[in-house]
Amino acid sequence: MQQKLLIVDDEAHIRMLIEQTLEELEDNDVEFLSADNGEKALEIISEEKPHLVFLDVMMPKMNGMEVCRRVKKELGLNDVYIVLLTAKGQELDRQKGQEVGADVYMTKPFDPEVLLKKAKEVLSIE
Amino acid sequence: MARLKLNNLISKKEVTPLLSSFAASLASQFCIEDEKEKILFGNCDEQTHEYLLKSDDEILGKVRGDGNAERIAEFLNLLLYKESEKKKLGTEVLNLYQELNFIFNFSEKLAQLIEPDAIAQTALNEAQHLISSTSGVVVLFDEAHIRLNLLASSGGINFSEDDFNEHGSLLLQLAASGQSEIISDAPTLQNIQSSQAQSIIYASLKVNQRVMGAIILFNQGFGQYTAGDLKLLTTLALQSSSAINSALLYEKNIREAREREEAMRRIHEITVKFVPREFIRSLGKEVITDVRLGDQVEREVTVLFSDIRDFTTLSEQMTPAENFFFVSSFNELMGPIIRRHNGFINQYLGDAIMAIFPGSAVDAVAAAVEMQLALNEFNNERKIKNQLPIQIGIGMHTGPLIMGITGDELRLDATTISDTVNTAARIENLTKHFKCGVILTNETLQQLSQTEKYKLRHLGLVKVKGKKNLLSIHECFSGNTELQFQMKLSTLNIFSDGMSFYLDKSFEKAATAFQNVIDADAADLTAKIFLRKATKYLNAVVPEDWMAVEENLNS
Repeated sequence: MQQKLLIVDDEAHIRMLIEQTLEELEDNDVEFLSADNGEKALEIISEEKPHLVFLDVMMPKMNGMEVCRRVKKELGLNDVYIVLLTAKGQELDRQKGQEVGADVYMTKPFDPEVLLKKAKEVLSIE
Repeated sequence: MARLKLNNLISKKEVTPLLSSFAASLASQFCIEDEKEKILFGNCDEQTHEYLLKSDDEILGKVRGDGNAERIAEFLNLLLYKESEKKKLGTEVLNLYQELNFIFNFSEKLAQLIEPDAIAQTALNEAQHLISSTSGVVVLFDEAHIRLNLLASSGGINFSEDDFNEHGSLLLQLAASGQSEIISDAPTLQNIQSSQAQSIIYASLKVNQRVMGAIILFNQGFGQYTAGDLKLLTTLALQSSSAINSALLYEKNIREAREREEAMRRIHEITVKFVPREFIRSLGKEVITDVRLGDQVEREVTVLFSDIRDFTTLSEQMTPAENFFFVSSFNELMGPIIRRHNGFINQYLGDAIMAIFPGSAVDAVAAAVEMQLALNEFNNERKIKNQLPIQIGIGMHTGPLIMGITGDELRLDATTISDTVNTAARIENLTKHFKCGVILTNETLQQLSQTEKYKLRHLGLVKVKGKKNLLSIHECFSGNTELQFQMKLSTLNIFSDGMSFYLDKSFEKAATAFQNVIDADAADLTAKIFLRKATKYLNAVVPEDWMAVEENLNS
């Protein structure tokens, strides 16, 4: 079955960056989806039910925390693995991230190798 | 960058439906195959034309169909082109980002280090992790001596002294050049035999245009270094340069601070030898630098004077150097005893010692006894060497004393001004007359709580030069040799009786008593003195107001 991966960030270059970092997953039949704001992200998640979401916290319209909360707490989509991305220095968000049900938490600038490893692990790709 | 795959493009959610609707609206059949002729879309039976699908001149597959298939191919080629451009941009962004991420992490690592060699080693490890190499070094260029200092190395190359110091050696040239380059021509590399390198990449360490040294990587294999490697190494060198420079400055500051501290400590150490710490403390100051002209304090102390008997005669038999050595070794023996008993040496006056005991007089008496005992040991050693024994006299007096800083603005001296000092000196002098080792005054005796601990003999009253008041004095014989001590102890009662008769003007009885002491102990010279005195008064007219006072004994 084809697996889906959603990248949510309001900055185009970050989306491109994550996509490029995870490029090799395409060969493993992973479909890449992307969204540039929280509302769109929520829409895609409820429709497509991706396996893995890289979700930026600081975004216009609806921030990542809120998206995560709705997905996990309201829609009850516990199978959607959510990686919260926050800027360095906002580590205080960590606890908040746990409260809204995020599965893991990473800081930007992220280490590409760590990001790829995490994605492979979640999607069970060797 | 991973290759574009035709299948990935065609299976995209937004592309597949478009192709289907093209197929329907064109009313003609077409199919898409990948480069291995695997059908990805449509039906490929009986197609007459085929059009190639390419990305960056690489054939990814083809569209087969009738003439209309050409439009489909053009459309797909356009999508492939866009996709390829996007990927290229993505790759570039990722590269930049990785570089940024690397610099970020590297700076973070450097920020945690303060030792220059640790920073250099980290930079070198990082460089070797990113750029393939068999070995590497970080060297610092010593401009003053035109040589290199090795700050870090890895891969275990042993450079010869020449590589580092020889004028014009390649390594020295590289490190001093301020450049960053790749060298791969064999003749140049042969100059560094020890590295066995096929190629070298190096980047200069610079701060404010000043060349500090270089990071140099060696590759023994045949792999070529690229411009990308050079860019990376240069970035790394740039980051580590200022860190190494700061660390070197920091190290220098610490070293200089330590040296200053050490110099201060030595100055302090020597000053407390000239002016005892207790002296400074008595003035209520912690260090000598706090002391001011005119600082002074008055307190009750016990002053102890010690002097070597017949030193003049003794010193005549020695050269000045031998003399100096003798006095020094004697003082070295006595000084610690005084300090151990809470006293301090106010002055060494040739063969004499003047010590002050600011605490109890017990300290002074204990010190005097121990000094005598130490002298006995000293004499035992002299005896073995066939040298004559030394005798010392110790006098003590307790009273007020002013310690202070006198002098003028440019020349200060730590001085004691006190009658107590003079008296103690006079008392010490009396030991010659009474032929005994230690004499203390009644003022000192009064401070002794356990008089029984020290064996004393009363020696009567004296009037010393320059003093109006009479002084009652006592011999302390606790520090005598074991034989003397036992003899004096056994005759102590008779001696005391003799002294009582003597002071009572019963000179006959006194003479008998002292004679008895001498009969028991022929070596008791003090008893002999008193026998002579008693005998003298026995045959003389003694005035009514005779106080048994010995006058002007010092003259």
